[in-house]
Formats: sequence, C-alpha cells, structure tokens
Amino acid sequence: MKYEAVIGLEVHAELSTKSKIYCSCSAKFGAGINEHTCPVCTGMPGALPVLNRQVVHYAAKMGLATGCTVNRLCQSARKNYFYPDLPKAYQISQAEHPICSDGEVFFYVDGKKKSCRLERIHFEEDAGKLLHDEIDGTVVDFNRCGVPLIEMVTRPDLRSSAEAKEFLETIKTTLSYLDICDCKMEEGSIRCDVNVSIRSEGSEEFGTRVEMKNINTFSGAVRAIDYEVARQIDVVEHGGKVQQETRRWDDVKLKNTVMRTKEDAQDYRYFPDPDLIAVEIDDTWMEQIQSEIPELPLARYERYLHDYGMTAMEARQISDSFAKANLLDAAAASGKIEPKKAANWILSDISKYLNDKEIEVEDTMLTPDKLVDLICLIDKGTISGAAGKKVLIELFEKDETAAQIVKRLGLEQVSDEGAILAIVQDVISRNEKAVADFKAGKNVTGFLVGQCMKASKGQGNPQIINKLIAQELSKL
Amino acid sequence: MAIERKEIEHIASLARLDISGAGFDRLAEDMQGIVAMVDQLQQLDLDDVTDVIDAERRNAFHEDTVIQEYQPEQLIEPNAPDFQAGGVAVPRVVE
Amino acid sequence: MELFKKTAAELSDILAKKEISAVELIKDVFARTQAVEDKVKGYITVTQEAALQAADAVDKKRAAGEQLSALAGIPVAIKDNICTKGTLTTCASKMLYNFNPPYNATVIDKLLAQDVVVTGKANMDEFAMGSSCENSSVHPTHNPHNLGCVPGGSSGGSAAVVAAGETPLSLGSDTGGSIRQPAAFCGVVGLKPTYGAVSRYGLIAFASSLDQIGPFGRTIEDTAMLFDAITGHDPLHDSTSVQTLFEGRTRASLNPDVKGMKIGLPKEYFGEGISESVRKNVLAAAETYRAMGAEVFEISLPLSAYVLPIYYILSSAEASSNLARFDGVKYGYRSPNFAEDDLISLYVKSRSEGFGQEVQRRIMLGTYVLSSGFYDAYYKKARAAQRRIKAEFAAAFEKCDIILTPVAPTTAYEIGSKTTNPLEMYAGDICTVSLNIAGLPGLVQPCGFDTEKMPVGMQLIGPHFGEQKLLNAGLAFEQASGLKNIIAEL
Repeated sequence: MKYEAVIGLEVHAELSTKSKIYCSCSAKFGAGINEHTCPVCTGMPGALPVLNRQVVHYAAKMGLATGCTVNRLCQSARKNYFYPDLPKAYQISQAEHPICSDGEVFFYVDGKKKSCRLERIHFEEDAGKLLHDEIDGTVVDFNRCGVPLIEMVTRPDLRSSAEAKEFLETIKTTLSYLDICDCKMEEGSIRCDVNVSIRSEGSEEFGTRVEMKNINTFSGAVRAIDYEVARQIDVVEHGGKVQQETRRWDDVKLKNTVMRTKEDAQDYRYFPDPDLIAVEIDDTWMEQIQSEIPELPLARYERYLHDYGMTAMEARQISDSFAKANLLDAAAASGKIEPKKAANWILSDISKYLNDKEIEVEDTMLTPDKLVDLICLIDKGTISGAAGKKVLIELFEKDETAAQIVKRLGLEQVSDEGAILAIVQDVISRNEKAVADFKAGKNVTGFLVGQCMKASKGQGNPQIINKLIAQELSKL
Repeated sequence: MAIERKEIEHIASLARLDISGAGFDRLAEDMQGIVAMVDQLQQLDLDDVTDVIDAERRNAFHEDTVIQEYQPEQLIEPNAPDFQAGGVAVPRVVE
Repeated sequence: MELFKKTAAELSDILAKKEISAVELIKDVFARTQAVEDKVKGYITVTQEAALQAADAVDKKRAAGEQLSALAGIPVAIKDNICTKGTLTTCASKMLYNFNPPYNATVIDKLLAQDVVVTGKANMDEFAMGSSCENSSVHPTHNPHNLGCVPGGSSGGSAAVVAAGETPLSLGSDTGGSIRQPAAFCGVVGLKPTYGAVSRYGLIAFASSLDQIGPFGRTIEDTAMLFDAITGHDPLHDSTSVQTLFEGRTRASLNPDVKGMKIGLPKEYFGEGISESVRKNVLAAAETYRAMGAEVFEISLPLSAYVLPIYYILSSAEASSNLARFDGVKYGYRSPNFAEDDLISLYVKSRSEGFGQEVQRRIMLGTYVLSSGFYDAYYKKARAAQRRIKAEFAAAFEKCDIILTPVAPTTAYEIGSKTTNPLEMYAGDICTVSLNIAGLPGLVQPCGFDTEKMPVGMQLIGPHFGEQKLLNAGLAFEQASGLKNIIAEL
C-alpha cells in the first residue's frame, strides 16, 4: 500500500521587541544569568502583567502578511502547568480569542505552487531556560521568561517533509521581511513542533497523529518528519496501530522517543487571564499596520521569474533576502538598466562580498543608485566588467559615486582603436609560439586577449581587442 | 454532579497537592458539599453561555522601552530557598 | 493625652499645627498596642523601629517647612498580603513565612510618598481565604469588642487594630467581603472600592478579577482620607486599574445631604438567614435616611440566589491559578521532606505542607471547575451569570442612587463555632460577594449594636465609581446616628 503523510506545524517565533511582553525588562538575547528580570517576569507574588503594545503590532503584521483575519478584539488566557522554567506556573498565552485566524501561506516545491492554511496566530510569553551543567541539579535562568513569541498553528495541509521545509522557509523570510524577528536559529528565534500522521494515499480520513517536540532547525524538521513517517508506516505494516502521543526528537541520535502518552496528556485549564484586559485593534491602527507591509517574498519571486527572466534559483536567492530584493527592485525602478544585469551583480560579486564579510547590504555604503551607475558605466563601455568589480568593492566601502571611483583609480577603458591596434600588433609580434599554434589550427584568441589586456593594464576595451585580434590573425 | 474519589485524586495531582492519608475522607466530604453548593448554579437558565470577550475595558499597554531596575542578587537571591550559580536551584530536571 | 483615641482627621490637624509631633503620636499609638495587642493579636509583624524612624523623618520635614500631605505622620496598618519592601509579607501562610518582598505595592509607594507611618502588617485569613481570621497560620485575631469572638475576615487584623485603637487607619483587601464583613464585626468603617479604582500591583492575588484594596477607619472622613491617598490609575503596573474622576478628592467633596436621594432595599438581602438584630438595625438605618429626606423603597435583585455559587466558582478558579506560583522553587516555603532528585515531590510536599486546609480546598475546587470536561458547566457558566448580575445591578441603579443592605447574616460569632463545616462559613458571604462579582463599590459602617453589645454594620452599595455618593450617604448617617470613632474598651 502507498502511504501519504499528513503534517501540521506549530511554529514559534520570538519577536524582536526591545522589551518583554508583560514587563519592561530587556528582551535581548545573551545577558548574564537572571540579569534581565524583575518581579513580573520572575512571577513574584503580587506582580502584574501589562502588555507590550509592539507585540500586538507585530503579531497583527504577521497575520496580515499571511492572509489571516486580524481580529478586532482579542484576549489573553492562562495555560496552567508546573515547570521550573515557568515561574508563575502558568504561561500567558491566548486561547479562544487569538489575535489572528484563518490565514494561508503559499510556497513553491519543485516548481509547483502549494499552500498551507493557518488556523491561527497568537502571542504569548516564552519560558525560562534550565541550565544543567552548572551544578549537580538544575539552575533556572529567568532571562527568557516573558520574551514575546508568536505561535503560528497550521491546518494539517502539508504532505511531505519537503513541503514542511518550504513552508518554514517562507515563514522565516516573511518574518525577516516584516522585521519582527531576528530569525537566528542558533538562538532559538524560530522553533517548531510537528504533528504527523499517515493514511493510505487517496484517503480523506485522518490517521492518529503524533506530536513531536524539540525541533530546532528546519533541516532537523525534515529529518524528524521523515523518521516519524517511516516509523508510523513500519508500525502499520507490522499490523500495529499508531498511538496518540508526544515524542521527543533527538537530532543527534536521529530518532525520537515517547515523552507523553495520551493517558498522561496535560490538562492546561485555559481560562481568560483576569490580570489583562481585551485588546482592540481599531481601523486606524489596522491601516497603519497594513501600510507597513512591504511586497512579500513570494510576490517578488514570481515577478523576478516572469518579468526579469531569472531562473527559479536566482529568483529565490534574491527574494529570500529583503535587502537584496530591495536593492534589485530599486535599481530596476531607475529604468536605466536591464534588471537582469543588476540581478547578476547581486547574485555574484555583491553576494560574495557580503558573505565573506558576514554582513548585509545595509551595513555597506552601496546604494541602488550607485549600482545603477556602475552598470551604466559598463554598458556605455566607459569601464570594463573587470574594472567594474574593482569599482564595486570601493562602492561598498567609500562614500563616492561610481564615476568618482573610476576617475580616482584611473579605470577608464581605452576604446581608441588606433591605440589598441598598436598593442595588438605588438603582442602578436612578440608571441611567435601563439602564431605558430594558430597556424596549426589551434584557438589562441583567449591567450592573446589576455596578453593584450595585460599590456593595456586592464584598460583596453575587450570587445575591440577581440575584434582587432581576429582582424590581425586573419591577415597572417 | 457528585464528584468521585478518582476525580478528586486527579484534581489533586493537577494541583500538585498531596491529599492521601488521613485527611482524604474529610476533604472528599468537604468537596462533595462544596460542589453541591456550586451546582446550584445549574438551576439558573442562561441563554448565552458563550465565552465572549469581556471588552468593557480595552487596551492597557506598556510602550516598547526597556527599564531594568533590578539586580538578580536583590530580586531573586534573598528569597530563594536554594540559590546556586546565579539562579534558583531545583532537583535535576530530566527533559 | 490618649492620642490613639483621636481620628486621623483630628491628628492630621494637630500635627499640622505642630501641637504634637509624629514621634509623640506613634509612641502613644505603640503604647496602646503594647497594652492591648496580647489580647487582640491583630498584627503579624509590628514595625516599631521603622515607624519611629519614619515619624522622626516626618517631624524633620515639617520642621524644615516642607509642605506635607494630610496623612503625613499618620499611622496606618497594612494587611499582610500587601507587599512592603524590606518587611515580611506572609499572607498569614506558612508558604510565605519568610517572604521579604524586593518591591512595594503601588499603594505602599503612594502612602510612603505621602509620609504615612506604617505600623505593621495585620493578620488575616491565609491568602485572604476565610471570613473569620481563624485561617491564619500565625494565630487567630480576637474581636476587640468581645475577645471570645472572631473579628471577621479575611482582613480581620486590619479591622481589629483600628477598632482597638492600635492605629486610626489600616488597609485591607476585599475579594468577597473581606473588608466589609470585618468592618461590620468590629464596628469600624470599611470601603471596598470599585474594581479598578485602586491599583492591585503588589497585592498578593487571591482572585484577580475580584480583589480590591481598600481603607479602614473609625469615621467616614478618615476612611475617605485614606481612600484618597491610595486611589489612582497605575498604567505601568496594573492593566485593570483605571483613571477616575474623584482621584484624591472624596474627603474634600464630602457632603452629608441625602435629601431626595433614592435608596433601594433589595428584599432578597433581608430574607431568611438574616438574624433579627441585623435586620432590625439595618432597617432602622433606612428609617433614619427616610427621616433625613431620602426616598427609601424596596427593590428586587432576584439573581442574589446564585451569587454564592458564582463567587465560589470564579474566585476559586482564579485562586487555583494565582496560587500555583507557590511551588517551593523561587521563594517561600520549600519542604525539607521531598524525595531526592524528584521535582514533583518538591512541588507536592512544599504545597501540601505550606498551604492550610482552607486554601487547599479552594485550590481543589478551582482546579476542578477549570478542568477538562467541567469548564463549560462551571467556569464558563459562572462568567455568563456574572454578566447577568452586572446587568441586574445596572438596572437597579436606574431606579435608585444607592442600595442599603446588611453586611453579614449575623454579628461576630464565637471563635471556633464555624470551623467544622466550610459551607457554614461560606454562607456568611451572602450579602457581600455580589459587589465583587459586579465590580461595585461598597461602604460598611456601624449602625447599631445587638443585644450582646456587638456592633452591627450596614452596607451601602453604589454604582461603578460611586464612592463619593456612598461616603456622602455614610457621613449623613454617621452624623445622624452619632455612631463614629468607636474604640473597644479593652
């Protein structure tokens, strides 16, 4: 029998607010143990929460960007359970009335457009961190308590680990486009729980689902899903039944183990938090949030593909980065250049420079205007492509226009045919072996062009050199 | 609805209370009485038992600015039953 | 000079005129405490040294010509569930026997800014759960009017120390009657403000949606004075606190004119279960109002039959969650008896040993009504019923300005007489819980004595933020009856 996987995700993203969700402590990652704490986030008796306005703003923004209905009114609720990383013994989350409902996220898998519906997005507080290496027991660091999270819960619409991965990547790029999450996986900025069940292909019924926790990377999610799907198929093939349970993924041992069975399922006793009042997003606020949403990655990806003649990989590579996509779109908007040329620069030299330095476009002096000027100079033949690469480095690092840099470095290209002809003739006369090879039927153009470029200190126009070499060789 | 012994045990475990031993019968009896008392509410006919948002008052926020007024040694250490390595210590938690 | 017998308003006056110093005053007050506290046992902690220092600081400020508030130098006792930085705040529970808050409740910051002299932390029922002050893990408090009787609860200590002359003023908290019923039992004035009128930040929560901090005094004016000092919006610390119009001005606006005031007497509050002496005295008060030109008439609040279940469902549900943080991990009691390397055992032992019986019962009930399968029938239904109660009161306030009722079915009862069956204790809350359910303000003051010479209180209920109306009506009655500044003979 052929099986189909049915996958749903619960994705947690830490919001990049300055302060915590219910107090004014810093939400910044990486402080010394318990340095970012106060009576509220350590659950001291009598301390009360007050909601961070920015959290509502960010959560609603994500809702609008994922096609959700952003609810005019929403409410916080307590999720009650005991654990040392949860100082109040309840997590302030949302239950029956989340901020966003019913969205849909689109993405491509192997060139096919797919979608996954979102059931809801809600905001909540993160828990603390348990440290096991310091002492014989466990020490609790409350710094992360109260760092704001949004939880995005999907419908069971995903059918493979590849789809899950693309969905997660899309969520990640969307978060970074909206500038509401650091998206630093190594700091746990995005985490997910996975629900997996299997059914025979073509069936409409859902199988018994297993929840998997402790998934910290997207590639880990792929491994965990593939493992779990295989495990469930194995169970069924051997006449067994999949049990409803929660399993813990171990990305080192590459296997999962039972954490909780259905019998000891938690009863979280959700109820509206009486310490917090209703949140209302009125029209003015909603319009403001809407106005802050840029053109999203998927729309840009499709535009690059269809309008700019880019390959899927190229379009993806640029649309994945808000900064690069903005650079491309602004350069294209000048109307002075072919967008594809700007894309090529971004995909090659610009990306290489940024990757080497581990920085983003906005950390450099490069602007769309400068890039456009650079491309124009090459288009007009003022400088060679090779010189353009040198100019680019300067554009990153100096507050100068491309023209100024060309002038300063003396990179202007020589296009005077008379001057170039003298060089070409000189080079041919000095390279008897090449001439002999040419006569023997070998292609020596590349070698000669190189020699001519060298002789012209890189400033000879390569097209003209090419043309003149062909002309001179034909005379031999 | 009468509350069964097993239910009382389950509730106690959710609440992290130990009700075993001599006090159990007394507690069970008290719980029966109290639950019977709150059950009087079932006689009240309500047409709208939905979880509507209580929205008489809306929108109390703090702005997104950082105020860091406490040091962990003032805040946590003085009241912690077991303070080690900069935080409260508990028996080893196996995740 | 017996300064302890004076009202806060009188003391404020003679302090301002420098006829006495704050140090003289606090010494006199502590001399009274020294003399009677062994009998009353109203305090858990007396902060004598800090109080003397604070009084001295006030005197120095006054000598330096600083403009001081009306409460500067006035002694105030604080219920032991209100956080005071540097002073133990125990909630009368073994669970918090050693808890020393690293911060002040907002009301404490407000009082300190007004140079109040804090006398100590008053006894209470553990975590404010109870109506007699017998559920204190420290010791029971005795009613100053009859040491064999309870002072009421849960703010029994706060009421008793005011009635005994150990302080002119105190703060209590009221979740279902915890200010009003002890005020009635002890023959003092107590105000439960409108929900949101006083910041709850730093009040160790029992039931967040019902809790309010409020003042005790021996006169309406004194009570208004302390209310003015603590009310106010607290946007940074309490989302449920609100901006009110009367902030800081009820005392200045007191006006004992009740002519034409419409006073409703809900018949459900005078029915079966209300003792004859209570009924008689409250109805006599109604007659006093009528004689002063108020329009007094019967009204009906039929949903009163359901207020106890609604209250016990909502308050216990919230309590079960609010008290979950007391788990032996971060502060307070950690059992030495937990099994090694067993976190669950640490939780269970600490909580079972740290909480008293009544607290455990409420946590059990609250956990039950929130648990899977029961939530809709209990919690959700109680919330729906709460909306109906609010609507019923709103409709009543279309017809009348204020409502007059008894506070409790009886006057103060003997210590130990209601401790066997919790339901008997709960039944005593029948006249008070509805205000918390509806978030309304309630003022309690003495209106007479029963045959045993125990005080009888009456309760005035106002619409949301109707505190001024209540205090005005209270003052009118106080002037007509002469029942004010009653200090128990001890």
